[in-house]
Amino acid sequence: MIVGLAAAALQGAPAVTQDIDLWFEDLGDRRMHEALARVGGIYVPPTATTPPMFAGKNVALFDIVLTMHGLRDFGRELPHARKVRIGGTTVRVLSLERIIASKKAANREKDRLILPVLEDAWATLKVRRKK
Amino acid sequence: MSLQAFLDSAGVSRTAYYSLIRKNSILPRSVQAMAGMLGVASSSILEEEPPAARRAQALVREARSVLTLNPRATFDNVWHTLVLLDDPPIERLRRSLLRGRTHDLH
Repeated sequence: MIVGLAAAALQGAPAVTQDIDLWFEDLGDRRMHEALARVGGIYVPPTATTPPMFAGKNVALFDIVLTMHGLRDFGRELPHARKVRIGGTTVRVLSLERIIASKKAANREKDRLILPVLEDAWATLKVRRKK
Repeated sequence: MSLQAFLDSAGVSRTAYYSLIRKNSILPRSVQAMAGMLGVASSSILEEEPPAARRAQALVREARSVLTLNPRATFDNVWHTLVLLDDPPIERLRRSLLRGRTHDLH
């Protein structure tokens, strides 16, 4: 599932980001490794000092997320994710409402700065969806 | 989209809408008379507002309606969201990453 500000941007929030956060339920899932192999990427397991990562030019934009602050576990959030069509693929994207909840829970300075933008975008989406 | 939602987005009342569709022509008689004298279509002597300007006006109206319902929201955030919603999701993501990565260089 795509999470973080890339997910917010896909839904229309005017937020900038440097990477695309992907939330995985299971890093051992063979489909992830197959997908990586197809684009020439590799999975770098975590060490005592580094988080799990992807390596390779074609996957340089992607970061691995294993837990989300303030949210339920992956399996309980997934059914509420939005389906967004990108090219010929449909991807699961954490809803803007849940992104806001996770940013509020994380409460880092950068989260506090972006929250008004996300909340205004969410208000805008709600008004448009009512039409 | 329902007729009511369409009219709300366009900022047109139901009364004005039904008044318009009952008329044979919505052009002023003076415009029709001048076009008749020139032997051209009435539309040819009218300068149509560019579609982009019309779309921008519609978005401004929509932004105002969002702000009416959410007084604490800021116009900039609402406006940019509405503009981005006109683009497909992949384009929104591309813009976000482009700006994010450009900022990172400075």
